[in-house]
Amino acid sequence: MEERERRLVSGKGFYVDDIELPNMAHCIFVGSPYAHARIKSVDVSRALRLNGVLAIITGKEVAKLMDPLPATSNYEAIGWHWRTPKVYPLAVDKVRFQGEPVAAIIAEHPYIALDAADLIDIEYELLPPVSDVNEAMQPGSPLVYEEWEDNMQVHLEFNFGDIDAAFKEADRILRVSWHEGRVSGFPIEARGCVASYDRITGMLNMWSSTQAPFLGRQYISSALRLPTNKVRIVVADVGGAFGNKLNWWKDTVVGLGSIVTGRPVKWVESKRELFLTGSHNRDVTWEGEVAVKNDGSILGVKAKFVKDLGVEGTNRGSAAMGIIPACCSVPNAYRLFKGLKIEACGVVTNKSPYCAYRGYGKDKGIKFMERIMQIVSRELNIEPEQIRLGNFIQPHQFPYKQISGYVYDSGDYPAVLKKALKLGKVDLWREKQRQARKQGKYIGVGVAFMVEPAGVAAPHCIYGGLTQARVRITSDGLVEVENDQTEIGQGSTITRTKVVANILGAKIDDIEVKRDSSDMPGSGVYSSRGAVYPTGALIRAARELRVRMIKFAGHFLNEEPAHIDITDGVFHSTKDPTKRMSLKELADCAYFRPGPRGLPHDMQVKHEILLDVSASWFSPNTAQNPTSTYATYCSGADIAVVEVDVETGAVSILKYAHVHDAGTLLDKDVVEGQIFGGIVQGIGEALSEELVYTRSGELLNNSYTDYVMPTAQDSPDIVMGHIETPSPFTELGQKGIGEAPVITSKAAIINAIEDALSPFNIRVPESPATRERIRRWILESQEG
Amino acid sequence: MKVPIKTKVNGKLYEQEVEARSTLLDILRDELKIKSVHRGCEDGECGACTVLLNGKPVCSCLVLAAQVDGAEITTVEGLLKGDELHPLMLAFIENHAVQCGYCTPGVIMTAYYLLNNLADFTDEDLRRGIEGNLCRCTGYIHIIKAIKAAKKCKDSGNWW
Ligand code: FES
Ligand code: FES
Repeated sequence: MEERERRLVSGKGFYVDDIELPNMAHCIFVGSPYAHARIKSVDVSRALRLNGVLAIITGKEVAKLMDPLPATSNYEAIGWHWRTPKVYPLAVDKVRFQGEPVAAIIAEHPYIALDAADLIDIEYELLPPVSDVNEAMQPGSPLVYEEWEDNMQVHLEFNFGDIDAAFKEADRILRVSWHEGRVSGFPIEARGCVASYDRITGMLNMWSSTQAPFLGRQYISSALRLPTNKVRIVVADVGGAFGNKLNWWKDTVVGLGSIVTGRPVKWVESKRELFLTGSHNRDVTWEGEVAVKNDGSILGVKAKFVKDLGVEGTNRGSAAMGIIPACCSVPNAYRLFKGLKIEACGVVTNKSPYCAYRGYGKDKGIKFMERIMQIVSRELNIEPEQIRLGNFIQPHQFPYKQISGYVYDSGDYPAVLKKALKLGKVDLWREKQRQARKQGKYIGVGVAFMVEPAGVAAPHCIYGGLTQARVRITSDGLVEVENDQTEIGQGSTITRTKVVANILGAKIDDIEVKRDSSDMPGSGVYSSRGAVYPTGALIRAARELRVRMIKFAGHFLNEEPAHIDITDGVFHSTKDPTKRMSLKELADCAYFRPGPRGLPHDMQVKHEILLDVSASWFSPNTAQNPTSTYATYCSGADIAVVEVDVETGAVSILKYAHVHDAGTLLDKDVVEGQIFGGIVQGIGEALSEELVYTRSGELLNNSYTDYVMPTAQDSPDIVMGHIETPSPFTELGQKGIGEAPVITSKAAIINAIEDALSPFNIRVPESPATRERIRRWILESQEG
Repeated sequence: MKVPIKTKVNGKLYEQEVEARSTLLDILRDELKIKSVHRGCEDGECGACTVLLNGKPVCSCLVLAAQVDGAEITTVEGLLKGDELHPLMLAFIENHAVQCGYCTPGVIMTAYYLLNNLADFTDEDLRRGIEGNLCRCTGYIHIIKAIKAAKKCKDSGNWW
């Protein structure tokens, strides 16, 4: 156990940047300084003359040597307004965002490549950029893709239930608007890979910091016109991912660099490059109305949802698709919805590509709903928890088909919220809030609740719900495990080890989780699916292997399999204690002495001679309920107490409580680690993180200096509680939860700030609630 | 331009000729092959490259190799006793303070310095002490817990 952690603390990591292959060259990308410009010429002759430069690839070459980047999702065929651009990883005739790679330099040393970058002469003809999403939607706006008549990449309408009935029945109709700033995960290790192409065999081997090697192989082989069985990706240690490493568009160029030079090529992205060209997320605006009864019942929501996809949201990553869960997640945990109608626009602008970041799309709908709850609570003067308790789906209603089609598996939402209220000592803090107000201090109590759809299986995209696991006993009785639950620092190695050891009855130290690679068909980790899909496959494989092991042991011990048990790696008869054999002895019997010849006839004729089982898993929820794109639906509640200094706009967190229900917990430490990390990311989003573009499409903050992520000083003490309501749809009752905490923490902090500022009658319109903004809101409210 | 330097890294003496523009981070990783020193931002902002330079934590990306002539440098490799992990490292594992592990060696070096130089500390001191080390995975909660657990090891004499 914990071999990986032992390696990592002692400096034996195997991150992409640690890999050194004989004769390895280095790749850097040369990015455009402009957000929108036509490329008139690229002259690499001076750069190529520099000693140590091996090759320079430009857009011209990629257009010749590669296919355009494949779409990760495409719903055009089913009649949706869904455009996919024809794009290459290096700009061919025009650049569409600042930092867009125009050339890739392969050199003996990264410093030589950097020197060469200064010697490339690129002539641009500037085009008017459009970096504001509202401008991009205006007629006559500059076009990001001239082949489209406007900048609307995706335009969808979601209409569930009877929206007119909902609004007719309402006592009140409240307006709501909410904007989330552009942010991303920005792991401490940026993206990177090493590619090594063998010209003799045509095999491209890659080592990559990726969440999904199997999908990566599909993408890279398609772009490079290589057969998939000639591309293999091994996952290095991954220094954080959070959705940001679910794209491979730059990796294709590194692969091409190795093909062109015949040398292994390493690319490790700089932080500046990650900020400029990495996948961004959030940047959504909701404008709408909510239909409510005077008792706080929420009957319906009508809204327009606009998502700024940046340069595009289908080919360099997968962003446009996130619109679907964003809209379908709006009803959240609430049962009284009669209608939900959303017009959703995915708009392209001259900004960096948009892809996954923890929360992906569902987070947006949930946060919108939790802002609605806060607003309803204030307008009707009902405590925020009471509004939620009155609207909750009740424990006896599961499985519950939500109006948007998701089928919620199980839960006890009132219990989760009540536990959080207790842990957060809400009554006490409300009293303190009253006292503090008398002294001119502004304390606020924020509540947020969420139901997180986890484990996606969507059609017409690369995220269809593929998974596979393989568990086998080695010839000396050890256990080897692999599935597509890529270790990205979320702790899947520990979880996999424990799950398999428990099922097999093997010793925990005898389990070896194999390094993740594209060999295992499966979509990898995103969508909080690790605990759902890959774990489901793993459990099924381990269970079947256990049956086979017991059958083998029964045969060699001359005992009925029904009377064989295994604990701590030792089989024993429950009837005759003298009949025992270790897993090691069994493996020896099965493999060599006597080996397959010693197995019973029926096993031989069925070819059941190996202690090696592969299995897959598909969500029974999605299989039974095609509208339920997700498999499980965990729940969680957060309570944040903040104090806002109205003179400076500074926010301090006085108390933080979180309770969740992830079904059966697979490993408490792992789950808690995920949750703590997610909560603090959400706090960063709520208070300080935002990528700021100028009107000319220049990114103002492209480093940790200017993009302010939480440090240890910004992370509060967090009290945490668990409730376990097993999911009826998964093998052990477990539910995915990886993305959940980043959702509610942001909503709870924003709601708390709004509560603190209620004497000023401020509605927080957007995130992050920076000091400067808070001051502005206060000033504006005072000016009337 | 090459500059000759002599250093003692994790107790071993080195004599090198370094490029004037190389950073301490470059030479540790690329020449001495000490891969625990991670390239995070190369901007002095993340602390993933933290090492002890003459006993004090520094961002090795901000120090030129040419500046460290005569200096003593310690990285996590220098805390190992043969193959035995340092109690501080074990505390990180036991308290689940290692998630992706990319920040970890840097955090450990800062924590090692704090533990050796502060007789006593509050949580607040600790938070301030490791402020220069960004971690995107843990929310710092398990890291703080681990450092506090390591303090107990140190106080009970289980330390080197
Ligand atoms: S790499 Fe040195 S501080 Fe980030
Ligand atoms: S453990 Fe991943 S950055 Fe700290």
